[in-house]
Amino acid sequence: FSTVSAQNRNAILVSHRQKGNPLLKHIRNVRWVFADVVCDYLLGQSSCALYISLRYHLLHPDYLYYRIRELQKNFKLRVVLCHIDVEDVVKPLLEVTRTAMLHDCTLLCGWSLEECGRYLETIKAYENKPADSIREQADADYLSCLTHALTTIRRVNKTDVVTLGSTFGSLSSIMDASMEDLARCPGIGERKVKRLYDTFHEPFRRVS
Amino acid sequence: MLPFQEQIITDLVEDPNGGLVVLSSGLPVYSLVASLLLFHNPSQGSLLILCASETQKASISGCLQRLQQTPNPILPIDIPGDLPSHQRTALYASGSSIFVTPRILIADLLTSRVPPSSVAGVLILDAHRLSDTSTEAFIARIIRSISNTAYVRAFTDRPHSMVSGFAKAERIMKCLYVRRLHLWPRFHVLVCGDLERDAPEVVDVRVPMTPAMRGIQQAVLETMDACLKELRKTNKVDVEDLTVENGLFKSFDEVVRRQLDPIWHTLGKKTKQLVSDLRTLRKLLDYLLRYDAVTYLKYLDTLRVSEGVRSVWIFAESSYKIFELAKKRVFQVLQADGVRISNGRKIMVHQRSVTRGSVNVKEAENLKGVDNGVFLEEILEEAPKWNVLRELLEEIKERKEEVLSNQGNGLVGGANENNDLVLIACKDERSCLQLEECLLKGPHQVIRQEWENYLLGKVELHSLKKRGRKRSQDPKGYGILDGSVARSYENADPTNINNLENDALLVVASEINYIDKEEAATGDESQRLATVKGYTKGKSHGRSKKAAKQASASRYKLKKSAVKDKFDKTTLETAVQGAETNFHSERDLQGNNLIPSSTCNVDNSFIQLHSQDSRVSEFTETKPVAHIHFYALEKNEPRLDIWKPTVIIVFHPDITFVREIEVYKAENPSLKVKVYFLFYENSAEVQKFDASIRRENAAFESLIRQKSLMMIPVDQDGRCIGPTTLFEPNPAISLDLPMKKVGCKMTTEKEMRVIVDMREFMSSLPNVLHQKGMKVVPVTLDVGDYVLSPLVCVERKSISDLFQSFASGRLYHQVETMVRYYRIPVLLIEFSQDKSFSFQPSNDLGDDISPTSIISKLSLLVLHFPRLRLVWSRSVHATAEIFVSLKSNQDEPDEAKAIRVGVPSEDGIIENDVRAENYNAAAIEFLRRLPGVTDSIYRSLMDGCKNLAELAVLPVERLAELMGGQKPAKMLREFLDAKFPTMI
Repeated sequence: FSTVSAQNRNAILVSHRQKGNPLLKHIRNVRWVFADVVCDYLLGQSSCALYISLRYHLLHPDYLYYRIRELQKNFKLRVVLCHIDVEDVVKPLLEVTRTAMLHDCTLLCGWSLEECGRYLETIKAYENKPADSIREQADADYLSCLTHALTTIRRVNKTDVVTLGSTFGSLSSIMDASMEDLARCPGIGERKVKRLYDTFHEPFRRVS
Repeated sequence: MLPFQEQIITDLVEDPNGGLVVLSSGLPVYSLVASLLLFHNPSQGSLLILCASETQKASISGCLQRLQQTPNPILPIDIPGDLPSHQRTALYASGSSIFVTPRILIADLLTSRVPPSSVAGVLILDAHRLSDTSTEAFIARIIRSISNTAYVRAFTDRPHSMVSGFAKAERIMKCLYVRRLHLWPRFHVLVCGDLERDAPEVVDVRVPMTPAMRGIQQAVLETMDACLKELRKTNKVDVEDLTVENGLFKSFDEVVRRQLDPIWHTLGKKTKQLVSDLRTLRKLLDYLLRYDAVTYLKYLDTLRVSEGVRSVWIFAESSYKIFELAKKRVFQVLQADGVRISNGRKIMVHQRSVTRGSVNVKEAENLKGVDNGVFLEEILEEAPKWNVLRELLEEIKERKEEVLSNQGNGLVGGANENNDLVLIACKDERSCLQLEECLLKGPHQVIRQEWENYLLGKVELHSLKKRGRKRSQDPKGYGILDGSVARSYENADPTNINNLENDALLVVASEINYIDKEEAATGDESQRLATVKGYTKGKSHGRSKKAAKQASASRYKLKKSAVKDKFDKTTLETAVQGAETNFHSERDLQGNNLIPSSTCNVDNSFIQLHSQDSRVSEFTETKPVAHIHFYALEKNEPRLDIWKPTVIIVFHPDITFVREIEVYKAENPSLKVKVYFLFYENSAEVQKFDASIRRENAAFESLIRQKSLMMIPVDQDGRCIGPTTLFEPNPAISLDLPMKKVGCKMTTEKEMRVIVDMREFMSSLPNVLHQKGMKVVPVTLDVGDYVLSPLVCVERKSISDLFQSFASGRLYHQVETMVRYYRIPVLLIEFSQDKSFSFQPSNDLGDDISPTSIISKLSLLVLHFPRLRLVWSRSVHATAEIFVSLKSNQDEPDEAKAIRVGVPSEDGIIENDVRAENYNAAAIEFLRRLPGVTDSIYRSLMDGCKNLAELAVLPVERLAELMGGQKPAKMLREFLDAKFPTMI
């Protein structure tokens, strides 16, 4: 793939082997061109993908292994994109998982061609994207922050959060509320009261 | 103990292997357990009681105390999570009866801390929760394999949960390795005989609902029906189960969820919403009968905000009726001439011409509304049951006096007449408190109090909203969002009557607010004056203070009306000016006292105090019986034996409690017990009560049928348990990898070991791994959930976990550390067997790459961690197979090393204790979700303060110290103190 031109850097390079794969129809958000590449899809400088459908794997159990071996050590990210297109998945999927794992490939599963296509698109499009959206996000509005925190307590739902908030006025007063005060809130039953109270008043570490 | 209870015990003890007992709900499962404990002899070994909740523990201990009748009864020992392991071993060996959580026990069993011969047997409560993958089943299996004599006895009093799912009873028996199923329905001949021989006297009081309540009930049922119809249209659920009657029960959700779970991930938003709407509606129906009118309205208000635009039902036609009627139970908007505004068109025209948005305009509108002569009439409907209850109590009192006078005449009354406790049973603590107030102060006072609270909430909202508007340029400002959003919806609403109503509410509310503020200033004074005047009635402090508040309040009103006479046409004024409008009806009496003297003087407040006081004392006098106990059914701790009431008023009928009364009566045949049931006529309450009996009977009939057809294998005593499937040759796998074949063969010879994090024992995977014949080593891991080999570490995520931990950013962090410490870090995505094997329906995918979709998140994850291996598993069982296959060419993991991974060395000594038990996990999770608290910070916060309550009051300086910086500390402090955006 030394022939990759600058113009094609922003496109997925598709191996000629994939000609006729209906998956190609679903790559629409990113440009793609056929090229001479050893992998099925060249997604970036050092990331590539191999496509396998479980049905094909059942017919040719060794195919994936030989394809992976061809890749050699040229890529940092080697994706095995597995299309789940059989009903009884457990055994074939186990085999694919094992092969991918033993040969340092990352397995992604799609249940439809659209989904598989979307994985390829996204990996290409996100090539240089920072991980911010899956790291802890800092700012959100107050209510969803509060809901996010309070709903860690089992059975506490969004309505309860509003009830608690409007009854006590602020989070610190909720955290400081007595059992009786908590019990007075409509919709908050005995067990929820206890859970809330325990969460706030039991020590973080139960051992001294 | 009653004869039928003895029979249950005899039957159960007969089989040395144990058995499963299913009782009707309300039959005394605790006293059964207690008597089993009583028969337990320490020489047999220790008796382990699993999964008892705190209240269950208390009930069992209580029963045991009563059975033993000695000053120093032998009670079961509770094993706390932080007990050092050697002490636990000693306890297991001691031969006593022990409460223990499954998680601790399974860890101890797996690490051989339980001496094999020391276990006499296991008692399991709430057996309906079990399945073959649950930890209890795991425990049963291990206990069977280490001991030949141990028995397993399981109990449940939820027959209807025993018939959910295919052959559930049989499967539970299989997983516990028991062969006997004992069924004890209420209609069992022995039970019937014992309970009905001397049944308590029952009075069924049918209270008519108010028209508004009937209307709401009707509307809720209609809405429910509409939702059900909608759900049927999806063609995804079995129509037969979808009836409104079923919809009254909690288990309805389970039925629907069970049917939908396999395809849950493929369902559209609307269907999911429908399912949750049904839950909401059931609550509404329940609360209608349980809460007073004002609280109900408040709840509806909250619902409207929290459910908002998402719900389907809120837009249904009949739901409009719910809101309308609920409002009508509390207040009405009236025009000055007393005509209720039905459409309010005239006024609307004025209002619409005003441009909205700025604070000033808002206020102008406010006044306009008032100028137009709109005011609020308070209706404040009292719950009909309240008055019936008062009447009942009076009747009981009379009856009692009669009996007493009869006794005085020398006639012999009941055997135990001096013990005349009246027990009032309500559903929840809240209703108990309210009823108590009701009896003390009278229903009207109670509902008024609620009303005032409600209005105060509104005022707060209003002032807040103003502030919110001012700041509305600032996008980060807390508080604008929901308040103003809700507001703008209302504005868009063509019938602007809402606005009018709000304004009127606010006017009334602000009055009360002023009064309260004023009270702080004048309260002391008037109290002083009162004392000067020799006001020295032996009233409690709180009450006189309250009276003072009332006094100053009305004084303020008068002052105000004198000053602002022309300007303000507030509702309150109307009340003072024209007492004939029957406006502040409750204060009429006081008003009449006050009006003659238009200036405020000391005499006035004295009169005020006095009249207030007389009201209070009047109500105190009407409290007819000396001993009234309130009991919240939700608490679920049967106290009948202790209180020994002679009269029981069941305020919220509940089938379980009825049975408890029956048993109580049967156990105390000498006692005369009279039971009053308070039902709302033709209500969902009656329907629910009847349906719950039908449902239970049907469940038992089905269980009896199942029992007759049950196939129990001969070896179900579990005497020949061994690892099952592990050593089956698996040619497919070896074929796949020709080069690794030799390695495979070699390793299967020795035992496979998997190191499992303690916290993972909540899931069923450790159990299934053990079933597969792997050795499960429980330890506390800082990195990963499972360690398969020195190289392979697995973080397991169920689908909901996956979504959640992506959202919280935890997954990123977990993967980051795993990648740091292990050569082969694995993220295991585990689907659930009974749910569909896919993320979402393909039509939900959308045309563009959306950053929020799970596909984008996974792609980003693999891009950032190219070394991360993903494993997709269809089910727990598939996971176990994958583990076996992954381990086949790997070395066995070293637990000592695994424990140390990721633990900072200054953490010091690592003990082999059950660490998960030693942490308040919910609190830690909560802490980590607070703004400003990052993964690096939360530990030092945990060190710095004991619990969350303490954290809540730490000053910002101290927080900055703990968090290592001003910025996060400020962020946290601000979040903690931020005013909650009140909303309508």
